[in-house]
Order: sequence, then C-alpha cells, then structure tokens
Amino acid sequence: MILSDLDRCVSGDGSEVYRRVFADEAVFALEREHIFGKSWLYLCHDSQLKKPGDFITTYMADTPIIVARGDDGKIHASVNSCSHRGLPVCRSDSGNAKRFVCPYHSWSYTVTGDLASIPQERHTCNGRDRAHLGLKPVPRLAEYRGLVFGSFNQGIESLDDYLGDMRFYLDSYFNRFPAGVEVLGEPHKWRLRANWKLPVENQLGDVAHGPYLHATLLGDSPAVPEIDNFGHNCVPKAGHGAAVRLMPANAAPQDIAWGLEGMAALSGDPEFLSYLLEVQAQAAEKIGPIGARIKGLTYGVYPNLSFLWSNSTLRVSHPRGAKEVEYWSWWVVPADAPDSVKTLLRSNFTHMFGPGGLLEQEDSESWMQQLKGSDISYMDDRPLYYGLGQGEECGHPDLPGLIGSSYNEHYAREFYKRWREDIASGMREGG
Amino acid sequence: MDLNRDLHFEVEQFYYREARLLDDREYQQWLALLSEDICYVMPSRYVAQRDHALRGTEAYLSPEREMQTETASDLPLREENYFVLAVRVDRAFKPTAWGDNPPARTRRHVSNVELLGCEGDELKVVSNFMLNYSRHGQDNFLYSGQRRDCLRREGGSFKVASREIILDWNVITAPTVALFF
Repeated sequence: MILSDLDRCVSGDGSEVYRRVFADEAVFALEREHIFGKSWLYLCHDSQLKKPGDFITTYMADTPIIVARGDDGKIHASVNSCSHRGLPVCRSDSGNAKRFVCPYHSWSYTVTGDLASIPQERHTCNGRDRAHLGLKPVPRLAEYRGLVFGSFNQGIESLDDYLGDMRFYLDSYFNRFPAGVEVLGEPHKWRLRANWKLPVENQLGDVAHGPYLHATLLGDSPAVPEIDNFGHNCVPKAGHGAAVRLMPANAAPQDIAWGLEGMAALSGDPEFLSYLLEVQAQAAEKIGPIGARIKGLTYGVYPNLSFLWSNSTLRVSHPRGAKEVEYWSWWVVPADAPDSVKTLLRSNFTHMFGPGGLLEQEDSESWMQQLKGSDISYMDDRPLYYGLGQGEECGHPDLPGLIGSSYNEHYAREFYKRWREDIASGMREGG
Repeated sequence: MDLNRDLHFEVEQFYYREARLLDDREYQQWLALLSEDICYVMPSRYVAQRDHALRGTEAYLSPEREMQTETASDLPLREENYFVLAVRVDRAFKPTAWGDNPPARTRRHVSNVELLGCEGDELKVVSNFMLNYSRHGQDNFLYSGQRRDCLRREGGSFKVASREIILDWNVITAPTVALFF
C-alpha cells in the first residue's frame, strides 16, 4: 500500500470506512506497525500481580508478553521468547516464579527478564555480553488507576496525556469504590473469525444496536428509555469513547448505583443492596458530583481495550491477522466487597457476556458475519456508512469532550480518523 | 438404586433422549428434564502453573487444578440456575434470536457413561460428549468435553439436579458456548 491508498480506507471525515479495512492482510500489516507498534496497549490490572514474582502472560497485538512484579516491587514486561533459540520461557497463564527456564537448553531468566544462567557456559570459553541476552523488554510501562499499559514506542507521550479526558470517565468507575477494584480469576479467551476492530467499535459507543440485535432480552428493557433520555456518546479524545447515562441530580441512589443493573439484583439479597448503595452514597466524595451521577454503558481506550460498565468486564481484542481475533475478557469487582456480594456480581457478567453470554452470542454472530460482508471485492466501491448524527456532536456543560446522542456515530468516525492519521504519519515517517 | 446393568441402560437411554431433544431443537421438552433447583456450571480452563511440591503424584497433573469454577475468586464460563436456562430456552423461540437464526445444525454424541455412585435417590454419573455444530454453510465446529451430572430419580425417569460441563479448551475456538450441553 502507498499513502494515497488510505483515501480508499477511510474518508477524510470518517463517515465512510471501506470494507478492506476489516479484511485485507495488507491493511493489518500497517496496523501492526503503526498502531500496535506505536500506541499504549493494555496489559493487566495491578491486582493480578500482588507479590514479587507474580506474573501473567498476555499479548501486545500478536507479540507474546510476560508481565511480572519484580523484587523491586515494580511491574516489568518482556517478550516471552528465549534469546538462545526463541522458545517461550514461560509456559503458564499466571503464577509466581523466581526464574523462567527455557525447556530446550535450560537458559534461565529472572521474572523481570534478566538472563540468570546458561548451563552450557562452563563448557565454553568465549565471553558473552549477558546484558544483551536478557528477554527483550517492553520499553515503556505506565499505570492509571491500576490499569497497566505497555508500549513498544520508546518515544510515546505519557499515559496521562494519551488518555487525556478519558481519565474522567475511567475515574467514574475505577476510582468509584472505597478500596478500588480488582480483577478476579483468569480471563475468558475466545477465538473468532472477525476483525479485531469490530468488537472494539461495538464497545466504543455502539449503543444503537442494543434494542435491535439484542431484542430478545433488551427489547423491553427499562435501560432503553433511560438511554434515550439521559444517554450520551462521549469522545474525550479521538479514538477513546465513553457511552454513559448522566443521571439527573435528583435521581434515586438505587437508579444510579453501580451493580444494581443486571441479574444479580434479582436476588434481592440485603447485603448486596446495602453494600452497593453505600458505595453510591460515598461516590461524590471520591469522584465529584458529576462523576457520581454517571451510569456508564461502554468504554473504549484506543486502540483495543474495552470496558463494559454494568457487566464489569475489561476486554482486549488481540488481532490474529485481519480475519481473526482472540478476544479476552476479565472480570472486575470492587476490592472490598464481601465474597458473597462478589459472587452475586459475577452473574452480571457471565449470564450476559463472554463466550457463553446470552447477549454476546448475538454480538459474536454479527462480528463474524460482518467479516463476510467486508470480504467481497465487488463491494470495494461501497464503503460502510458511519455518518449517523454527523455534525450534531458538540460541547457539554458537565461532560468533557465532544458529546453526541447515544445514536450519534461520532465515536466511530473519530476512531477511524485517528486510525487513518496514525497509519498515514507512520508511513510518512517511514518514507 | 443398585449400580447394575439395568440402571446403566436406563441412564444411557435418558442421555440419548436428551441429546435427541436438543438436536431436534425441542428445548422446551429438554427443559422439563431439569430439576428446578438445578445448578448448571461450565468452568473455564486455563494453563495453570505446575506445583512442583506435588511432583511424582497424580495431583501434579490433575485437570482439577486448571478449572475456574464457581468459588468466590474464580471466573467460570457459565453458572446458571433453572431461571436462566428457561430464559435461554424462551429466547431461542423468538424471531430476534439472531445467534440462532438460521439455527445451527447440531449432533450430540454421548459416550463413556460411567455410574460413579448413588446416595438416596441421587446418582452421580460422568459421561463424555462430542458436539458437531454447523452454521452458515461451511462454518463447522467440533466441541469435546465431559459432563459431571447428578441425576435425581423422579417417577419412572430422572431429572438433572446438577451438571458441570468440562470443555477441552483453553482458548474457545467456536463462535459460542451458549448452547445447551
């Protein structure tokens, strides 16, 4: 591809996205280099790494990564590939270790990636530079409210600047609870024949599909009129998005409180109710009066992190080429909630989302069918339409960013405009 | 109940009937085979770190260490009661159940039925299954796993009082596990 080909990927105003963007391996090669190679990518939540030696394995796009807490108490990330013959040195999803040992010749590394020993060394004479034989580090790491990100881009802006006003929306959940949040258990992992951007776009602000695709469950949901009355699609910075309801100042606490929207509340459990109402009563002190009135829907952090508010799940869309995605979903809960409350809250996630979810079975169907519609060469001149609500987004007295109605597709236009600009500037830099 | 050939035959016939109802999309009749206090769980499986203190013992390799079940700090794929299963059945018969429109062609094969023991009117049974799932022309997927059941004797038949579905995947490579297993 050459620079001018980008005109046939995304129109200048983002309202037209050409189908090849979802199905062309040449486009994915550019994304890997100029988007996944340059952005901040979500790695894990710091609650997954409590003690020195704790580690998890994950991916940055399709690069296998070990994230671990070192003896220095800090989080480190390195590529899970031995410097000798390239095998993965860590072979489990999570755990606690002193050393990672490559199975092939037993080269070993500390959890933070330094080379610890080469067993064959004592039989050879030539000197070697051990400093360069450690695991390749992820050069930049940063954390916001427990969310740990890494970047391959040494010169990337600070995570705070990268998130910008998205921090206001992240705070309204991730800073809402007295003792913060924690990720419990192992993520659901799920391989789908879909492009990585479609799950992202779905959870960046696509509230509009809810009552239709999910009509079996959401057709009569009280959430739908609430979204019509109080819902906003917020774009604090191009590429990020937050679909929220800003509940009225006089709304009853039980109509705002996080956790009461979903299957768990049907239990009528008094401890559950009192814990969540107490969180809501204290919320304004932590996140201000506007933050406390936020009742979120979906969040997205560019390029591939999503968060579902009511269903308390963080998810990352790991690309596997243009036509496949490995979708990971973690479960997030208030850290100080009693175990019985956490167990009840889990049903807000597992009944609806994840590979077995009642709602997500229709989403995954759509993402896979959309790939088929994107892979029709005769349709190369018929881009997909993202123009709903175009020009109607504007400022808001209480909410940062550009704000549109729940049905304004500006969250996607801004995402694809940034996507195009990131690839274009990467191609220009590369000559 | 005596764990004899007659009982084994009866349990097998129960499972074959259940598989036929599901493959024929007669989910309402299938729901009637479940007890209303059913506990229906599908653990997720992850790649657990080995515990070298257990080396040399069978516990070292036990699949149980790979399971995310319904304890407070775990994340199973599914954990449902009768109400949620009834919602799933109800959903399937609505025109807007797009994940099942058109419906998948499925074929369930139940095998390795083993009666583990009984207590009162409850019977512990494990069995294996293969499920072929075919949608949209060439989209074919194979599910493989184990079911760990508690069957309760009720009248001349059984009801499923609890079921744990162990899928043989770490990364799910099918479009959905929101099926009836």
